[in-house]
Amino acid sequence: MKLSDCHNFEDFRKLAKKKLPSPIFHYIDGGSDDEITLNRNTSSFNNYDLIPSVLNDVSNVDMSTTVLGEKIDFPLFPAATAMHRLYHHKGERASARATEKMGTIFGTSTMGTVSIEEIAKVNKGPKLFQLYIHKDRGLTDNLIERCKKAGFSSMCLTVDTVVAGNRERDRRTGFTTPPKLTLGSLLSFILHPGWTINNLTHEKFKLANIIHITQKGTSIDKSVIDYINEQFDPAMNWKDAEYCVKKWNGPFALKGVMSVEDAKKAVDIGCTAIMISNHGGRQLDGSRAPFDQLAEIVDAVGDKIEVILDGGIRRGTHVLKALCLGAKACSFGKGYLFALAAGGQKGVEKILENMKTEINRDMKLMGCKNISELNSSKIVFRKS
Amino acid sequence: MNLKDCHNFYDFRKLAKKKLPAPIFHYIDGAADDEITYRRNTSAFNEVDLVPNVLKGVEHVDLSTTIFGKKLNLPFYCAPTALQRLFHYDGERAVGKAAKKYNTMFGVSALSTVSVEEISSIIDTPKMFQFYFHKDRGLNDAVLERVKAAKFDVMALTVDTITGGNRERDLRTGFTSPPKLTLSSLFSFAVKPMWGINYLTKGKFELPHLQDYVGEGTSTAVSIGNYFSTMLDQSMNWSDAEKLCSKWGGHFALKGIMSVEDAKRAVDIGCTGIMVSNHGGRQLDGSRAPFDQLAEIVDAVGDKIDVICEGGIQRGTHILKALSMGAKACSGGRLYLYALAAAGQDGVERALNQYRSEIERGMKLMGCTKISDLNRNNLRFRKK
Repeated sequence: MKLSDCHNFEDFRKLAKKKLPSPIFHYIDGGSDDEITLNRNTSSFNNYDLIPSVLNDVSNVDMSTTVLGEKIDFPLFPAATAMHRLYHHKGERASARATEKMGTIFGTSTMGTVSIEEIAKVNKGPKLFQLYIHKDRGLTDNLIERCKKAGFSSMCLTVDTVVAGNRERDRRTGFTTPPKLTLGSLLSFILHPGWTINNLTHEKFKLANIIHITQKGTSIDKSVIDYINEQFDPAMNWKDAEYCVKKWNGPFALKGVMSVEDAKKAVDIGCTAIMISNHGGRQLDGSRAPFDQLAEIVDAVGDKIEVILDGGIRRGTHVLKALCLGAKACSFGKGYLFALAAGGQKGVEKILENMKTEINRDMKLMGCKNISELNSSKIVFRKS
Repeated sequence: MNLKDCHNFYDFRKLAKKKLPAPIFHYIDGAADDEITYRRNTSAFNEVDLVPNVLKGVEHVDLSTTIFGKKLNLPFYCAPTALQRLFHYDGERAVGKAAKKYNTMFGVSALSTVSVEEISSIIDTPKMFQFYFHKDRGLNDAVLERVKAAKFDVMALTVDTITGGNRERDLRTGFTSPPKLTLSSLFSFAVKPMWGINYLTKGKFELPHLQDYVGEGTSTAVSIGNYFSTMLDQSMNWSDAEKLCSKWGGHFALKGIMSVEDAKRAVDIGCTGIMVSNHGGRQLDGSRAPFDQLAEIVDAVGDKIDVICEGGIQRGTHILKALSMGAKACSGGRLYLYALAAAGQDGVERALNQYRSEIERGMKLMGCTKISDLNRNNLRFRKK
């Protein structure tokens, strides 16, 4: 199986599984507890059907939209995710370049393995930085100032990670960062020599944005669960969020808002956007899927703030359905991470290209010439 | 596989299966008829989703709750279950000590294999006795007096076992109390020699609350279904329950209430709590799951008595959902019995600790710092 055989999410996933040592594959692929929320994130789209209009002259389709202060070519972008160099030795450099080429926002994480400054060098397009509030508050200021200086266009604060989710696959595989060889995982590293050789022969794995502050997760073998529980601040509250909004003073989103009450508060503290998200089903299992919750949130704040749907996106039609219910744009993590593992920069370009093609085709089939024509009249709930 | 590989309910179940002779494992694991109710007890939780709130400052979480006038450190407890020394030679001693360590309620069955007097001498934390209404009124009176003398805090009369459920697995494996070697079960006992050695060497199998009155269960091998059908009084009615309640004169609950009408009558006869329960799916197959029925019952009597949701609980999030719906606490049998079979007291402690940390993590991710923060605003039913 090669990159040219990857036609959809499942294909990229399959190829990534072949290329990655199993603890790393399962770190991307897994969710928390029984993975009920992880599965629901995608299956929730299947309870709604699209209703096309025909004979609308769709020879030219404009997929562009404006979100977080930036015009992007199509309404989907790679969510900020951690530690890309675990998945491919070029890490965030590869995904940042691919995203710039495809004309959408690139999200990078506090837990990135290529620094803010270097990302700014390789990607001149719109860039989103995802912030975690650490117990060490000096780090928050430091990250915000560096992003400003590096010319990032927007910032998001993740609010659904005050404590780590119960990711049982990681417990079983013994996933740590940086990867640690254990007797149990040795075999899976030996069986993926390409990954292992690349990992050993390229620069040392580091959490590039926070290495100056903490050695945890860089020189000490830590599971992500331990890192979150030791370093992230569970006392984080609305005042802290408001502080970040003011300090950043640009397009700002809260990532992981699920209740209407919180969505309204996000408006109050001056956010530009919220990302409805349950962290890809990796935090609270049994929590509601973003798409299930979307209409309620859009009804309450859709006219005051940009609502971005994050989680479960596998297909162009999923993006269309979210837009029909009022989302401004969508973001996805697992899809492009599998593509990154499968083929580095080329892989990410290919999955973004695939998704863009799907959205384009589906808009034509829906009889829609631009994003604003996708609305609630084009979607219907299927009673079971 | 050993205890340290047990990270969740299913792991304990697997290890219990390895340790127990098949008839005993299936006695715990099985249920009535086609086990539809048994499965629904758990799957019911999956049709309602949690909606978290964020930025609440959740570094300290209080999991305590008060039921039957007793403050418990956890919002769930060990439901009374029968015959525990068949599962591990320490039986109720192991479960009682583990419950004490986590300061939660320990339920002791009329069919327990350790006496109430001994349990009282081991643990000073809250204790509940579960009462079966026998045909032999002398037995009933004697048991009540003993439990009173042993200073138990709560008496729970089981009302859903008026006749034995059709536990077909027991019919196939030939499970009886005490265990009887038959030609067909011989092999399953022979392949678990440790269980057999412990059973024969760690003290005689007894039913201390019953054996002075009835031979069935101790000197005469019977199935549990048979025991219920022949020994319990099928003429039991509301006036019997009321008499028992006033004779006890303390916190009194009916275990196995499913209708609103019965819940109201429980209030009328002076009960201080009810367990919404179908006996773990072991009695009437096709009957409603406790969680499905919970809202209706809470709406009717939730302000008058403690409503306990019992059955199907396998995750901390299941408990969060039941509490959000209005239950005061949850209880379960299998949730600690597999752990008991897997490793005695250590096993039960590990299981209780796992649920405790699952609930605590879930509360933090929900943005809740105390049990009373959970309410129906946090829940959404999936559209049908």
